Formats: sequence, structure tokens, C-alpha cells
Amino acid sequence: MKIIAVVPAWNEAQTIAQVVGQLKPLLDEVVVVDDASADDTARLAAAAGAVVLRHLLNRGQGAALRTGTRWAFNQDADIVVHFDADGQFSVDDLPALLAPLKAGQADIVFGSRFLRDNSLPPLKRHLIMPLARLINRWLFGIRLTDPQNGLRAFTHEAFTKIIWQEDGMAHCSEILLLAHRRSLRLKEVPMTVIYHHYGQKLSGGIKILKDLVVNKLNR
Amino acid sequence: MQSLIAVIIVAWFLSRLFWQKKKGSVNKSEFVFWLIFWLLALALILSLKWLDQLVADLGFSSSAIQVLLYLAVAVLIYFIFRIRLRLAKMEKDISKIVEHLAITKRD
Repeated sequence: MKIIAVVPAWNEAQTIAQVVGQLKPLLDEVVVVDDASADDTARLAAAAGAVVLRHLLNRGQGAALRTGTRWAFNQDADIVVHFDADGQFSVDDLPALLAPLKAGQADIVFGSRFLRDNSLPPLKRHLIMPLARLINRWLFGIRLTDPQNGLRAFTHEAFTKIIWQEDGMAHCSEILLLAHRRSLRLKEVPMTVIYHHYGQKLSGGIKILKDLVVNKLNR
Repeated sequence: MQSLIAVIIVAWFLSRLFWQKKKGSVNKSEFVFWLIFWLLALALILSLKWLDQLVADLGFSSSAIQVLLYLAVAVLIYFIFRIRLRLAKMEKDISKIVEHLAITKRD
């Protein structure tokens, strides 16, 4: 079973080599999509052993993930893992993430920061994430504990049903929505996030909502 | 007097439009759209008395010029909406090109 990690990266020179170095021994391939970084991200990723795809223009995390995922499945991957480049995810969570897919028990598996007690920042734990959960539940009828989590893995067949259009951070909600609508077998597994900074702010959440609405109107 | 000022303004925009067409700055469909737009504006300005009567008959308390102003704002908002959708589509097209280049260059 061929498993490829897709790592979207934008100005992640500080962490990319370490992330690739941790992923490489565990998976068949690591593809880093350099989203027009101004620093040495691409060179360092390649030196660490990753396949590097380069965006000529910065298009956002959703676009970088789509590029890498499409490339991975073109290389006959059976499963693709989305993994952040900032070193906040732990490779220790990968076995649990991949197990349901390998066993054929799920089509797509999401990591969740809420299934395990950890040091989620208070603003995020008590305001931003509950708000995101409510919006996902009210607007889309999705009941997952961590709708904005970037750690996920899915099969090729699942990908053909959830090819997301969002270029920015709204891809998380869109993937969830599409997986739900296409009746894919969803599973959540606990994961740990090591926070170097606080990630998205409330303004980021508002932008995600705006992107989702504009994209919906534009279809 | 107000109508005369409005007609002068529309005439100025029309002259700019024809000048830009002559320069080749606007394509044919864009030229036709704006020509119809300004001619329609001119027709409405010249029909203000008739429009005042129509607006009163329809039960509005405001004058025709006010109703035209409200309509103009509504039309402008609609144009902004259309432009936003068009921009979003262009963004998507750019992403498709960037994605294609990233994959084919690697392959």
C-alpha cells in the first residue's frame, strides 16, 4: 500500500527539513508543495529528501494541498496524508490516523485536538473552535469535534469525490462538507498539536466563512 | 437647470467613451454596454417630468430623481457583486494554471 504525505509550505524554512525528516522513514514518499516561498523552503525540503512541487504564485494552503494530492495520486498512491509544515503535528499520530484506512473501515480520517486533552490555547478552545463547530453543524449538518484540523488522510477513491475548490483555509470546511455529502465513511482519531503560535485568529475564521459563501455563490 | 447640468455630465462621459473606443481601450461589447447605459441615463434625465408623474401615480412620496438615485445605488451594488464573483472565478483560474505548471514541471 503506497502512502504519500503532502506538506503545503509557505516560508517554512525553519521547520521544513525536520518535518520531512520525521515523515520520510514512515511513508513511501513526502511531497512538499512550496507555495511561492520567499525563503529557502524548497531547497531545504529537497535536501531533506522530499519531492518538491513549486507554485509560481502564492495560492494558499488549500491550493497547495490540491496540487500535492493530485500529484500523489498520479504517482499511484493508495492513501494521501495531509501534514502541516510548521512542525505542530506529531508523526506519532500517523499510525492511528492510517489504521482505519488500511483496515478498510473508513474512506477519510480526520485528526481531532478535542479527543485528547492537550494545551489548546483558551481563545481557540472556548471561542473559535466552538463557533466553527456550530457553523458546521447548523449550515452543513456535520458533527465532528474539530472541523478546522489540517491532519487528515484519505484514499484515492475518496479524493475523487472531495476535490475541493477553496484555495485558502476554507478548504477544511469544504472537505468536511463534501465528504459528508458524498456519504463517505468518516472517522476522527485523537491527535496532539504542539503550538508554536496560536494559529488562526477570529478574523481568520470570518475570512473562511466569507470564502465559503462567495464560493457557493460562484458555482 | 439641474437637467441641463446632468445632460452636460452625461455628454462628457459619452465623449470620453467615444474617445476611448477610438483609442482602442474598450472592446466592442464594453462600448455597446456603456453606450446603452449613458443613453438610458440621458433618456431618464430628459423624462424627469413624466417620471415624476409616474412615481407619484405609483404611490411614492419621493421625486423621480430620488427614485433614480436609489435605483442607481442598487445597480452599483449589483455590479460590485458581479465583479466580486468574476474576481473569484479569475482567482480559481489562476490557481488551476499554477497547479498545472507545478505538476507538469515536476513530471
